[in-house]
Amino acid sequence: MIERLVHWSRVKSPWVLHLNTGACNACDIEILAALMPRFDLERFGILLKGTPRHADVIVCTGPITRQNRDRVVRIYEQVPDPKFVVAVGACAMSGCVYRGSYNTCGSIDQVLPVNAYIPGCPIRPDALIDGVVKLLNSLK
Amino acid sequence: MNTETILDKILGEAKDKIQEATLAAPRRIQVKVGREQLNALLSYLKEQLGFTHLGTVSGVDLGENFEVVYHMSSAAATVNVRILTPRSDPRIPSVCGVIPGAILYERELQDMFGMVVENLPDPRPLLLADDWPAGEYPLRKDWQYDRPAEVIPGGK
Repeated sequence: MIERLVHWSRVKSPWVLHLNTGACNACDIEILAALMPRFDLERFGILLKGTPRHADVIVCTGPITRQNRDRVVRIYEQVPDPKFVVAVGACAMSGCVYRGSYNTCGSIDQVLPVNAYIPGCPIRPDALIDGVVKLLNSLK
Repeated sequence: MNTETILDKILGEAKDKIQEATLAAPRRIQVKVGREQLNALLSYLKEQLGFTHLGTVSGVDLGENFEVVYHMSSAAATVNVRILTPRSDPRIPSVCGVIPGAILYERELQDMFGMVVENLPDPRPLLLADDWPAGEYPLRKDWQYDRPAEVIPGGK
């Protein structure tokens, strides 16, 4: 019973951490647009959190830079279980133009296990909503 | 003040501060200097001719030598101040005494080319990651980068 309640509340209100792992800020602007009243991600119960310790979902934008790798892993370890990683944008999915560069480690999935990929360069807010809803539906 | 007047002044008043000065293109003057002349010429350009803007500092890998180019601009023209330094001992003097903002460019030169900038107020690494191996300079032409193998999640 408690377990079902916990699961229900998790699916109904995931708290997200917005983490820039080396993006150019275009995806970050679109994520902010998605959280604003026009697209209104909060109608799905999605709330932006400022600390990884309160978050269920990490929304990662950008390729993981070499300087950032250890820090990203540390942030990932601070998120309480169960945790989900969403790779947002072309860079986070594949490394994009930064793939093979000496200063990046490529895509997010080279470092963290990724649950959902959202394509686009930058993503549209609609794509972000679609991807997050699909992730939540897969948890039901 | 047009480009010809500037070139005349550089060839006249500042002729002991340069090795060679030519008109490379309209509104663009190329000046070659030695390492003792660099600071004197930059401060002459800044104080006397109004070249107050240092656009950037470029490093060029010529094989045997490295060349460092200081792009100075005024409203009238651009002066490219070039200085050569041997690859085996790449030392250049810092110009932070004349242009304090040049420190970021010079720290970048140290990171990316492995040059030694003398008398730099703060010579810490600037751009590369903290765990970057010593002695690896990515903008040198002979630098090789071995890409680590990519992991495909799911093992396909």
